[in-house]
Order: sequence, then structure tokens, then C-alpha cells
Amino acid sequence: MRTEEQPAGPPPGNEPDKRQAFTRRKILATLGVTAAGGALAMVNYRDDAQAATTSRTATAITEAKAAKHAWCMVIDLRVCDGCKLCTLSCQQRHQLPEEQTWIKVYSMEHEGQTFPMPVPCMMCEDPPCMYVCPVGSTFRTDEGLVLVDQDTCIGSRACMAACPYEARYFNWKEPPPVKKMPLPPTPQMPVPQQKGTVGKCVYCADRLPNGELPACVSGCPMGVIYIGDLVTDVAVNGLGETVVLSEFLHKNDAVRYKEELGTNPRCYYIAGHGQSLGAGA
Amino acid sequence: MTTNAMTTNVREAALRPFGKPSRLWWLAITVLGAMVVGGIAAWVVQLRDGMGVAGYSDQAFWAIYIADVITFIGVSYGGAVVSAILRLTGATWRAPLVRMAEGTAVITVLVGTALILPHLGRPDRVWELLTQPNLSAPVFWDLVAVSTYTVASILFFTLPLVPDMAILGQEHGQQLGHRRATLYAFVSRGWTGAPRQRAVLAGALGLVSIMIIPLAVSVHSVLSWAFALVSGPWWHESIWAPYFVVAALYSGVALVILVVAGFRRGYHLEGLITERHFVRLGFLLATLSATYLYLTFADILPGAYVGEPSIAAVFTELLTGHLAVYFWVFIVAAGVLPLLLVALPWTRNVWGMVVASALVAPAMWVKRMLMVVDPSTYNNISGTFSSYHFTWVAITITLAAVAAVPLLLMLLFRVVPLLSIDEIEEMEEASTDYPPAEPSQSAGRDANAVGATGTSHRAAGTLGVLMLIALLGMFGVGTADPAQAATPQSASVVTPRSASVSTATGAPTITIKGVEGGGKVQLTATLTGANGQPQADAPVAFSFSTTQFGTPARLVPLGSITTDASGVAKLILGGDADHMYLPTTVGPQEFAATFTPTAADAKPITSSVTVNITVARSAYNPAPPKPLAGVGKGLVVALFAIVTAIWLTMAAQVWRVRRVTHGVQKPTTSSA
Repeated sequence: MRTEEQPAGPPPGNEPDKRQAFTRRKILATLGVTAAGGALAMVNYRDDAQAATTSRTATAITEAKAAKHAWCMVIDLRVCDGCKLCTLSCQQRHQLPEEQTWIKVYSMEHEGQTFPMPVPCMMCEDPPCMYVCPVGSTFRTDEGLVLVDQDTCIGSRACMAACPYEARYFNWKEPPPVKKMPLPPTPQMPVPQQKGTVGKCVYCADRLPNGELPACVSGCPMGVIYIGDLVTDVAVNGLGETVVLSEFLHKNDAVRYKEELGTNPRCYYIAGHGQSLGAGA
Repeated sequence: MTTNAMTTNVREAALRPFGKPSRLWWLAITVLGAMVVGGIAAWVVQLRDGMGVAGYSDQAFWAIYIADVITFIGVSYGGAVVSAILRLTGATWRAPLVRMAEGTAVITVLVGTALILPHLGRPDRVWELLTQPNLSAPVFWDLVAVSTYTVASILFFTLPLVPDMAILGQEHGQQLGHRRATLYAFVSRGWTGAPRQRAVLAGALGLVSIMIIPLAVSVHSVLSWAFALVSGPWWHESIWAPYFVVAALYSGVALVILVVAGFRRGYHLEGLITERHFVRLGFLLATLSATYLYLTFADILPGAYVGEPSIAAVFTELLTGHLAVYFWVFIVAAGVLPLLLVALPWTRNVWGMVVASALVAPAMWVKRMLMVVDPSTYNNISGTFSSYHFTWVAITITLAAVAAVPLLLMLLFRVVPLLSIDEIEEMEEASTDYPPAEPSQSAGRDANAVGATGTSHRAAGTLGVLMLIALLGMFGVGTADPAQAATPQSASVVTPRSASVSTATGAPTITIKGVEGGGKVQLTATLTGANGQPQADAPVAFSFSTTQFGTPARLVPLGSITTDASGVAKLILGGDADHMYLPTTVGPQEFAATFTPTAADAKPITSSVTVNITVARSAYNPAPPKPLAGVGKGLVVALFAIVTAIWLTMAAQVWRVRRVTHGVQKPTTSSA
């Protein structure tokens, strides 16, 4: 349970615990690897969550099985009025240029009606972006957050091709200067970003362990977006409305976007077109 | 005409590029060099200002450079087809072409690989592909396949140089100049042309030429899987691997025709390379053209017919939308015209074939651009298209790569002989099919060669088949190993701890009790009205408190229960479909019961209780593992074994040839 004590902690590789710190990346950084045989033992095959963050020891697997959180989002389209304050809050918090909309409000069409639909990262349990990253810069924490290590991203953009949800954004030029940040950038809070690397929605991974809400959740005046935990079965929106997650999803027939792709997204939608606000009645 | 005269002719022709370069040569080198330098300068600008200057955006994240990579690595297959396939099928007419074809293969694969650098956002970190590769990523296997193929093509280019360099070094040393003579002496050290040496070299070459075919297939397949292994429309196509392989062959043959035509004209090789060569290559070109057209149709028809929205949108854009003009230009330039030029007798000549190839090579680049840009600019959510616009940076870098191929070839053939002297002479001696040469001398050579090739044939063939099979299923579907339930405990200790909160006298009061028994938590709220009597038919809202999303604790509603006649409301957690919540963590958990009186000014009254939960389960149910999960790991091991075997086999061929020349080193040294 060592990593649990600091879930938002430093990026992988900087774990203070000695055994945890002795990860593949650390080994490589210290020794360098030339022999093919050596490389074979240490390279990572991205078939599970732990491969990303920890060495695949028995301990690590036990830890993941007992992960205390499984973060997810629920987006209640019945109350979304398309104001895009979620996007703005996110852009402010992460000091993003205008074209980077880590949560983007699409105008969708259904039977002649249009309705707004915010799309953050789906935090897939089988993230296609992670599998195709040639250097393992995209990884999945054992709490289910798919993050990018911009310190190692080579900018191949394979992840952008693989993501079915258009959730990834590339820094095509030097990111605009940012206000001074108290901490250096981490995968959990990648601000400032690096030119030539990929950025994406992180569910404000630095906030979650402190009981704080992601920027888009707290920034939504309609209470559309819930941040939830599939393990503790609780979700809350920006209005402070708290629900039993499983019940909420079940009773409202929540669906996952592009379920048929088998990515097992951890973002749920409650279908609607703002009708709770009187829209499209 | 005698064999001797022809031999002299070949050697004289092969030595031509080593003479004093013409003014035209210098002009070409200068122009091409300037283009390459310009491309490097443009890349520096791109490194400084970011990839945005190359026209990229989040709505066109893959575009020109990846198309360049595919195109250049693709044309490299031309060398393999002309050299290896024609070698294996015993087409003797290939002899004067093989050196140029193999040189083109080496140069283009190197240029194509270099083009990966401008494609990357952080080329300074490209070494991470070796130090921290992700084995489930197609790009990693691109690296493995391309590097293996590159080594194989360099080997395929270098091995036949041994006898040529021996011939030239020993018999024409004075025409070589000092540096070339030193190099040739080093490479051909110990080569006497003894039958045993010839047999070993032929065996090694036979093995490498067998290996290079599946290797090239693997390269173009894995390149296609960088696209086909994602879910995007038109990229996620099973036909793309063979489609890429045929595209590579097709454009590769076109480039060989152009390169051969260029050197033929530049060094006046008309006597050796005749119209017949071009027409035969033209037939190859036409065959591949027809195959490629067929595959294009087969690629588009199913998606267009079924009409899934995303694929239909992408094909509409391609066939009638903004990209249509490029697509139909491609169809004409790489489909209709080449076939016509080969089919019509009066264009079936050197010029006709050169024109056809000059159409095919750029048209195939356009096709790759379409295959990259059309899906890349498609938005998977909104279903709309953006566009990619060429910029001077992108075009300059691409033109630099185009210029680098002839530039490097011209420089390469200043160093190594342009013609495969030994092979041409051998063919002339052995063949009656080829131009007016009389069969004579050393009949033993071919017999030896055939024998050696035969023995190595089986091993390499098996290897190739194994590799193909393994490559086909390269990437297993992985599964996340998601969080599991907290460990349930069997003991069910009942520990109600605190009980009630009373309010001011005269107001209604509520008390709550909570017990855990038999693995179930039962909450009981008792409501007493203002009159002191139990209050019936009143809704009591149960909740539990969580600090997961910050303090003060938030109350999570568990549902309402109406009190019975005795003022009691009971809630069993997980008891029915309306109350599904079950405790998720062991330890003390606070529950509350709230009653909101109907009177307008009345405040809600709440009572809370802490229950020590001993039986908990995570609410999270992981998805079942995917059926093919786990295949990937086995595949990786198998692939590494195959790749290792290939590299060892290649090393063994070098060793074989070195050893057989080493054995006779002394006499050669003394004679040289």
C-alpha cells in the first residue's frame, strides 16, 4: 500500500520508496542499456495498468488490485446548456492556449436537434493511446488515470491517431508563457507544457487526492459534470450534489461513448439534450 | 563479337563514373546538395518554431512527413524486387540493373528512415525508442523491421561487391585511384574467384535474397499497422498491410526505372542496358499497377457499400469531396496512363517507360498523402473535416529528401562500381538468352551457385514463413488490470456506536441506529413528532457521509423511507433495487437520517450514527478480460526470437564469406 499514501505524488520514477524507485526507467537512467538481452528484460509491454507506473512485482500487482480509487466522470446531458465554462475553467487552470480544449463541448445532432456534449478524456481502461505509444510515455495509474509524461514524449502522435475521442492535443509551437507555478510540471499537472509533446485532460489528477474537484467539475454552473469513484461508489458535481454512483448510473441508463470499440471508457453519459432546462421540449 | 570484347566493354563502362566528373555532374551535385542543405535549414526552423510551421494542427496531426516516410521506405522495395525476386526466379536479364537497384534500395531506406526525424515532435529523444521501448507499439516494431531490412539490404548490396572489387582492384587498379584501390583491396581481400569461394558467395547471396523478400514485406506491413492498428476510419483496414506491400513494389519498380534511365544516360550505358530491360521492367510496372488498382477498389468498396457514417464520410471526402481532385489525378497518373504506356506498342520503349515511372513515383506519394491526411483531418466526434495546408518548410524538407536520393546515389557510384561486373560477365558466359554473347568457360560456377542456394533455400524459407505468421498477429489485445474489491472479512460484528441527536423540546426528533449483521447494514430511524408521539407516514432521508471530495463531509443520499405507524423507517443497504449502495471500505462509517418537516419555517432535523463496517466490497466491477489478452506477450517473445535468428543468419553470411576468402589470403596477398 505504499503508493497509496501519495497517490498524487511525484511522477513515476521519483517515488521515495527504494523498491518502488527501482523501476525500469530508473535502472535505464542509471545504467543505460545496450545489450538486447538486457533490454528485453526491462522493456515494458503495455498490457496492464501497472506496467506503466511500477515494476511488475507481486507487490505492485497486489497494490493495484486493492486500488482505493477508480476515478470516473459522469456527464449529465439533460442539464447541459452548452455554456463551455468547463472548457474555460480547464484552460485557465492549466493555462492552455485557446486551441487546446482538453474538455471540448461539441455540438451534436440527433434527429434534427442539436445538443451540447462536453467531451473530456474518457480515461479508458483499455486505452488505445497507451498501447501505441512507442516509448511508453502514456501510462495508466493504478487508479485508472491515463496520463502523459511530457518529459519522455517523443511527439510521434501515434496516440492522437489511436484515440477515438479526439482527446489529445499537441504542442505545435512553444506553449504561451505561464504564470509561475509552485511545483515543476508533472504528468498529473503538466503545466507548463513542453513544445513538441502531447497534452490531454488529466481529470486534475493533482487535485483528486486532496478531495478537490477537477476544474471543469467545479466550473460547471449547471452541475452537468460529476467526478466519481467507482470503488467508493460516490460521485459529486460542481453544485455539491452527491450521489451513489452505481445507483445514479443505473437509474439514469448511463451509457459510455463508443462502447463498441471496447476501450472501456471511465466516462459515462446520461443521454439528453438539456431537456431538464426546457430545451428541445 | 567475342566474350572478351563484351567483358572489356562492361569493365570500361563500370569504370566510367570514376573518371573526371563532367560539368553536368558537378552542376547536378551542386543543385541537389543545395536542395538538401535547404531542407536541413527548414528543419532547423521547424525545430525552433515547432511543427506548426509545417502546416500541422490538432486537426491534421499526421500529414506530409509520415507520407514521405512511407513513400521513401516504400520505393526501397524496388531494389528487392529487381534484385532478389529476379535472382530467385533466375531472370538473367537483371544483371546490369542489380547494382543500381540495390544501391537505390539502400539509399532510399536510409533517406526514408531519416525522414522520421522531422515527423517527430521531439527528435532529440528518438533514442528512447531503444532505451524505453513499448513492445505493444507498432512504431517500435517499425524500428525493428526497418533496421533489420536496412542491414539486410546493405548486406545484399555489399556482398556482390567482393568479386567486383577484386576484379577491378587486381586488373584495373591503376584506373581506380589510391583511395578506391585501398578500399577495394580491403573489401575483396583474399578473393580469388575460386569455385569454392564462388559457391559460398552464391549461397550467402541466395540466402540473403530469400530473406530480404519477407523482410521487405514485414517493413511495409508494420508501416501499415501504424495506421491499421487504430480504430480510425479507413486506417483500420485489414487490407492495408498487403496494400502497402504492393504500393512499395509498384513505386519501387518505378524508381528503379528512373534511376537506371538516369545513369544509363549519364554514363552512356546504352550498350549494356537496352530497351528490352526497360520494357521488361515496364511489364513488371504494369502488373503492379493493375494489382494496385485492384487493391484500391477492394479497399474502398466494402466501406463505401456498408456506409458506416465515419467511413462513408472519409470516402466521400476522397472520391467526391475536397480531396477528390488528388485522388482522380492519382488514378489517371498511377493507374490509367502507366497501363496505357505499357500496353500501346508505340510507347512501349525507353521513353514510354520513363514517362510512366515519372508519373507513378509522385502519384504514389500523392496516394500516401491521401491515405494519411483524409482520416487524419477527420474528426471522430463531430464527423467534420479540417484540412492540411502545405507550407514552405514541409515542402522544402520533402524536396530535400527527393534530392538526397540522386545525390547520394551519384556519390555512392563514385565509390563503388555502378555495374555488377562479375554477375554480368557470368550471365554473358552462362546465358544464351541474353544479347550476343557466346557461352564459354567455367560452367561450374552456376552449378555450384544453384546447389548452395538450394540448401539454404529451405531454412530461409521456413524462417520467412514463421516470421510472417508471427507478424500477422503481432499485437495482442491487452487488458487493464483494474482495481479490485477491498478484501471482504467474514466476521460480522455488530457495533452500533453513537445514536441520537435531539433537538429542542417541542420540535420533532429523530434518532438513528445502525447495525451490521450477516453482512448487511441495517439503518433504523425513529421519528418522534412535536407532540412526543411517533410520527407515521413521514419521509426519512438516509445518507452516508464522505470526505472523499473534501471537508466538510458531504452527505451522499441513500434514498428515502416512509415511517410506519410506530414512527420507524428501516433501510437495509443493498436491500432492494432502489437502495443499491453497499459499504465499500471497512472501518467506521457515518450514516445519517434526516427528516424535513413540512411546515414552511421548519428546519430539517438530522441524526447520525457511526457503524463499524467489517464487510465491505468495492463497488467497482472490472470488465472481463478480452478473449485474446495475453497473446501479445507470447508473440513478443516469438518475434524477438525470429528477429534474433535473422540477425544471426545475416552475420553468419558475412562470416562465411570472410572465412572462405581468409583461407586463401596468403596467395592473394602475394599476388597483389
